[in-house]
Amino acid sequence: MILTAIILTGIGSYLMRAFFIFALARYQFPPIMLQALEYVAPTVMAALVVSLLTTPDGELVAGVPEIVGLIGTAIVAKGTGNHILALITGMSIYWLLGWLL
Amino acid sequence: MISGALGALPLFIPAIPFAFVFGVVVANAGIPEWLGWSSSPIIFGGAIQVTLFTLIGEGASVAAAVSAALVVGARHMLYSVALAPQFQNQPTWFRWVGPYVLIDQVFVLSQLNPIKEPDTFRRYFLAAGFTFWSLWMLFTAIGVMLGPAIPASWGVEFAAPVLFVSLMMAASNRPDKIGAALLAMIMAYLFAELPNRAGLLVAVLISVLIMLLVTRRGQP
Repeated sequence: MILTAIILTGIGSYLMRAFFIFALARYQFPPIMLQALEYVAPTVMAALVVSLLTTPDGELVAGVPEIVGLIGTAIVAKGTGNHILALITGMSIYWLLGWLL
Repeated sequence: MISGALGALPLFIPAIPFAFVFGVVVANAGIPEWLGWSSSPIIFGGAIQVTLFTLIGEGASVAAAVSAALVVGARHMLYSVALAPQFQNQPTWFRWVGPYVLIDQVFVLSQLNPIKEPDTFRRYFLAAGFTFWSLWMLFTAIGVMLGPAIPASWGVEFAAPVLFVSLMMAASNRPDKIGAALLAMIMAYLFAELPNRAGLLVAVLISVLIMLLVTRRGQP
């Protein structure tokens, strides 16, 4: 039964990833569509961050260490374009403030 | 090819604590290790796998657990749309194989420096995708064997939002994209109560529509 659930979920998640790649294989994208697609990466990442910091009831669970840590991450990521450096910065601020406060 | 694999490595670091979270979820659900791990090659999507086993552990029906897991993974449809133009000049086999490794990090990597040349794009995509795939197979195996190897008090799970902020900034290489990202954060917060992270999808769709309306106003 569990294996059935795993296989069904596997098929479903593959179909979600493959569907539009096949469905739009010959579609001539108009400029407005191409512009819309450019916003997908930044908006999904932004929404993911918020959904990771909220409970299922919509409650924000980020305190000062989290917020300051993420702002620090954003600044370093923008300035250097280096994900490792941004990760180290964000985690260091988060741990440091969590320990101080 | 090497650049794809190297690009993938730092983005995998936050997935390591998540592999241990996955191990704990499998253990708590009372699922045999091998069966839990089999979801890594069959599903290949961390949040989807964790949702599925969390609900099964809570005694949900197969239908309820599978549908909730798929709603959590619904954002992959957006990736499928966004990558469709780059998959147009590709061989059919790649259209079949590519989606299997289409996860958050692979999608963003492929959007950061859009590669026009089809062969280069394909090699980069596959190298990044299968680097993640191999590491996820390895670390989820370790995760189900060791379970809670990292104390929750360390807060390593925070690496996930940190990574996504870093990716968000990398993907926002124009002022209007930064605007879109900020808008999506507000919308995601407003719709956070929708079940199984469905708010994420709604937030993205609304923000993209608003951005199109704002930037196209006054244009023919």
